Amino acid sequence: MMERTRGLKDLLWALALAGLVAGGFRLWFGLGATTALTDHVPWGLWKIFNMVAGVAISTSGFTVGFLVYVLGLERFRPLMKPAILVAFLGYGCSCLALLFDIGLPWRFWHPFLMWNEHSFLFEVFWCVSLYFTVTTIELAPLVLERLRAEKAVRFLHRIAFWVVVVGISLSSLHHSSLGSLFLVTPQRLHALWYTPLLPLLFIVSAMGAGIMFVILVRILHAHWYDREAVFGPTRVERELILMRSPGRKEVEEGARAAGPEMPMLTALASIGTGILAIWLILQVVALAMDGSWQALLAGSWESWLYGVELFVTAALPLLLVWLPATRGSPTAMGVAAFSASAGLMLNRMNVGIFGYFRDAGEIYFPTLAEWALSLGVVAAAALVFLYFTESMPIFRSTREEGRAAPLFGVSFDSLSRVWYRALRSGVERATVIGVFVLPLAWAFMYPPFHREEAPAVTPAFGMDVARTSLRIDGNRGGVDTEFPHAEHKERLGGDSSCVTCHHISLPGDETTPCSRCHRHLVEPTLIFDHDLHVAKVAEKEELKGVFPENHSCVLCHTGGGSKTAANAKPCLECHKEDTRWEEEYGESDELSWAVSYLEAMHTNCADCHAEKAEEAKRPGLGDCATCHGSLSPRVLPAGAAPRGSTSPPA
Amino acid sequence: MMGILVDVTKCTGCERCVEACIEENDLDPVKAQVDRAVTKDGLSANRFLSVPQVAEGRFVRMSCMHCLEPICVSACLVGGLTKSPEGPVVYDPEKCIGCRYCMLACPFHIPRYQWGDTTPLVRKCSMCLQRLQHGQVPACVEACPEEVLKFGDRGALLKEAHDLIAAGRGRYLPRVWGEHEFGGTSVLYISDVDLGVMGWPEPAAESIPSLTEPLIAKTPFIGLGVMSSLLGINWVIQRRIRLAGEREREGRSS
Repeated sequence: MMERTRGLKDLLWALALAGLVAGGFRLWFGLGATTALTDHVPWGLWKIFNMVAGVAISTSGFTVGFLVYVLGLERFRPLMKPAILVAFLGYGCSCLALLFDIGLPWRFWHPFLMWNEHSFLFEVFWCVSLYFTVTTIELAPLVLERLRAEKAVRFLHRIAFWVVVVGISLSSLHHSSLGSLFLVTPQRLHALWYTPLLPLLFIVSAMGAGIMFVILVRILHAHWYDREAVFGPTRVERELILMRSPGRKEVEEGARAAGPEMPMLTALASIGTGILAIWLILQVVALAMDGSWQALLAGSWESWLYGVELFVTAALPLLLVWLPATRGSPTAMGVAAFSASAGLMLNRMNVGIFGYFRDAGEIYFPTLAEWALSLGVVAAAALVFLYFTESMPIFRSTREEGRAAPLFGVSFDSLSRVWYRALRSGVERATVIGVFVLPLAWAFMYPPFHREEAPAVTPAFGMDVARTSLRIDGNRGGVDTEFPHAEHKERLGGDSSCVTCHHISLPGDETTPCSRCHRHLVEPTLIFDHDLHVAKVAEKEELKGVFPENHSCVLCHTGGGSKTAANAKPCLECHKEDTRWEEEYGESDELSWAVSYLEAMHTNCADCHAEKAEEAKRPGLGDCATCHGSLSPRVLPAGAAPRGSTSPPA
Repeated sequence: MMGILVDVTKCTGCERCVEACIEENDLDPVKAQVDRAVTKDGLSANRFLSVPQVAEGRFVRMSCMHCLEPICVSACLVGGLTKSPEGPVVYDPEKCIGCRYCMLACPFHIPRYQWGDTTPLVRKCSMCLQRLQHGQVPACVEACPEEVLKFGDRGALLKEAHDLIAAGRGRYLPRVWGEHEFGGTSVLYISDVDLGVMGWPEPAAESIPSLTEPLIAKTPFIGLGVMSSLLGINWVIQRRIRLAGEREREGRSS
C-alpha cells in the first residue's frame, strides 16, 4: 500500500519544499524581485490560480452538504467527509498563498477592523474567513473523535445541520462575489469574458466543477488505496470469482464490471455535469446578451481560448458522463472529472489573467518562484490530505493497511549479504528529497542570480603591455586575432598617425580603443550617449531647477514638436574639432551609429590585406586563415558568421 | 469640489509639471528619470505625473483623474482610498494591505506599486491635498509656464471649457473629456486631437461603482434568502420522509 503512493508523495514533497524556498524569497526580497507582476498586470498566479480558482474548485464542501443535509440524499453521505476535507484544505491553501501575494502580509487582519462594505473583495474576505471557520467546525469531529472528546463530538453532531446551512449561505455569497470582483473592469477585461452575468457564471461553474473535483479526488484515492471500490475487481480477482461461482453474468462481462461505489459516483457526476450544462447555456446567453459573440468570431487567440474553456469544462465531461458508451466506466468518469476541474481552473485564469493582456498591452508569464509557490502550496495541501485519509476514516472503505508501513526499514539484502537501511519513513524520504530540491530551488530562484542585467558591451580584448601587438576579440568569445599595432603605427607615420584609424580623437586620449565605438561583433552600436549629453549641456549652460537637464532639450532639438533624432542638431555642429569624420563623410548624419566590430575590422584589415597581397604577389595574404588560422588553438570555428551576417558566431 | 482643466493644445511637453510634482512629493529624481525611460507611459511609483505624446506635437498631462465616483475607492476592501470633499482621491498608507485591487480596477491604470520594495505601498497623485488645505494650487498647476493647467471649482472650469470650445471656432474638438465619462472626473481636458489613447471611454460610459454597488447592497438579503430557502426545502423534505415512514408503519400494522 505504502509502495503505491511513494512516488506521488515524493513528488509532492519536492514541490512543497520548492514552494517553501519560493515563499522565503518572496518574503525576503519582495514581490517585485520574485514575481513577474507589473503595474499593468497587478494580479497573477497566486491570486487567480490559488485564490480565485483554488476556492472555486473547493465547493464540494457545500454542494455535497446541500445534497446530504438539506435534500436528505443519504446515498452521497460517504463523500461528505472527503468533500469537507477538500473544502478545508482548498480554502486553507488559498489563504496561505494569498498571504504571500499581498504586499504587506502582516496586515492581513485589517479588513476585520477596517470596513468598506461597498467592496466585493471585502465581502469575499469576510465570507472566505467565515466559511473557512465553518469547514474547520465541520472537520473537527474527526480530530476530536481521535482525542476521545465525546461530549464535544456529540455537540458538533447536534449542530451539524445548522453549520452546513450557514456554510451554504456563505458559499452562495462569496462564490458569486468572486465573479463580481471582475465586474469593476468593463474597460479592461476582454469582451468575451466580461459580462454582467459573471457572478452567476462563477457560482454555477464552481458548483458543477466542485462536484466533479470531489469525484476526481475519490477516483484518484481509489486508484492509490482501494481500487476495487471504484474500479471493481482486477482481472485476477474476477477470474477467481468466476472459478468459484461460474455464470455470474455481471462479473463475466468484464470491462463494465465497476466497483460498488460507481453507481453513486455516476449519479453525482450526473448532477455535476447537469450544473455544468446550465453553465454552458448561461455562457451562450451572456454572449448573446451584450453582442460579444462577435468577439468570438474574430478568430483572435482569446476566442480560441474561450472555445477550449467551454469544451474542456462542460462539453467533454457532459459527453463522457452521458453517452451510453462511456457512462459508468471509472476511467471515463475520471477523465470527465479531471477535464471539468482543469476547465474550471482555465476559466478562472482566463477571466483573471489572460482576459487582461490585451488591455495591459503586455504578456504576463509567471516566474519560476511564482509557479513553485503556487504548486508547492497545493502539494502541501495534498500531503495533508493524504495524511488525513491514511490516519482517519475519511473514505469509508479505506483499509487499515494503508498506514501499516514499518517505521524502520532495516532489512537484509540477500544478494549482497549486507544489512541496509531503506528509506521507508516519510521523514527520511522528505529529508533526502530536501537535500536535492532545496539547493536546486535556491539556485534557480534566488533573485540576485536572475536579475536582468543591462546588455553588456563587448570591448576589445586587452593589449599587451608594450602595445606592440593587440589581440582583438570582439565578443570575448575566445576567437581572437593578432594585430601588429606598433608595426602599423610606424608604417603609417608615427605618433601623429593615430587618427588615421581612430576616427574620433577625444580630448586627452589620442588612442581611443576600437571598443569605444565598435562594441558588438555583428550588431551596429549606438555610440551616442543621450544622458551624458543632457547632463553635459545642462552643466555647460548653467541651467537650474530640480532637473536642469529638462531645460536643455530645446538646445539640441531645435525643430519644435516631438523630440526625436530627426529634429536634433547634427553632431558636427558642436563637435567639429573632435572628429575627422567631416572630411571623410561630409555632413552625413550616420555618426551616431558605429558599425559592428566585424564590419569595421574587415573593412579596414581585409581591404588593406587584399591590396598588399597584390603588391607582394602573395595571394594567400588576403585569405581568412592569414589572420584567423594563425592563433591555434583559438581559431575561428568552422561555420562562423561570414562577413555581413547578422548572427554572432558560435 | 475642485478640479483641473487641461488645455492640450497649449502644452509643449516641457515636463516642468513633472519636476514640480517630484519636488512636492519628495520623490527620488533619479529613479523618476529612469522610470520615464523604461515605462511605457512614464508613470510609476516614483513618478505620479507624466506628459506622454498623444499625437505629433501634442502632449497630455497624465495622472489620476480624481473621478467623481471613483471605482478604486469603491473597490478597496479596507477603505484605504477616499474621495475627499476638496476633490482629490486620497490614499491612506496606514490601511493598505497590498492587495492591488485598486490597480486592477482603475480604468486609467493610475495607481502604481512599489514593486522593488519589501514593504510596498500604492503610489499616485493626490492633487496636492496638503497644498489645497493651505489655500494653494497643486504644484503642477503652479509650475506650468504655458498656462496649460487651470485649477478651480469643477463647475466653473466646465463652463469655461465649453466657452473656450465655443469661442475657439474649430480650435478644439467639441468634447470636454471628463465631463460625463465614468460619471465625470475632477480633471478635465479640452483638445484638438482625440484622447482615446489615454484610456478615455465613450462619453456615455457610466460610473463603474454604479455597476457594482447596487449589486453588493443586495448581498445580505441574498444570504438570508438562501438560508431561509434552504430551511424551507429541508422542512418539506424531512416532513415527507417522516410521513412516508409513518405511512409505511401504518401499512405494516394494519
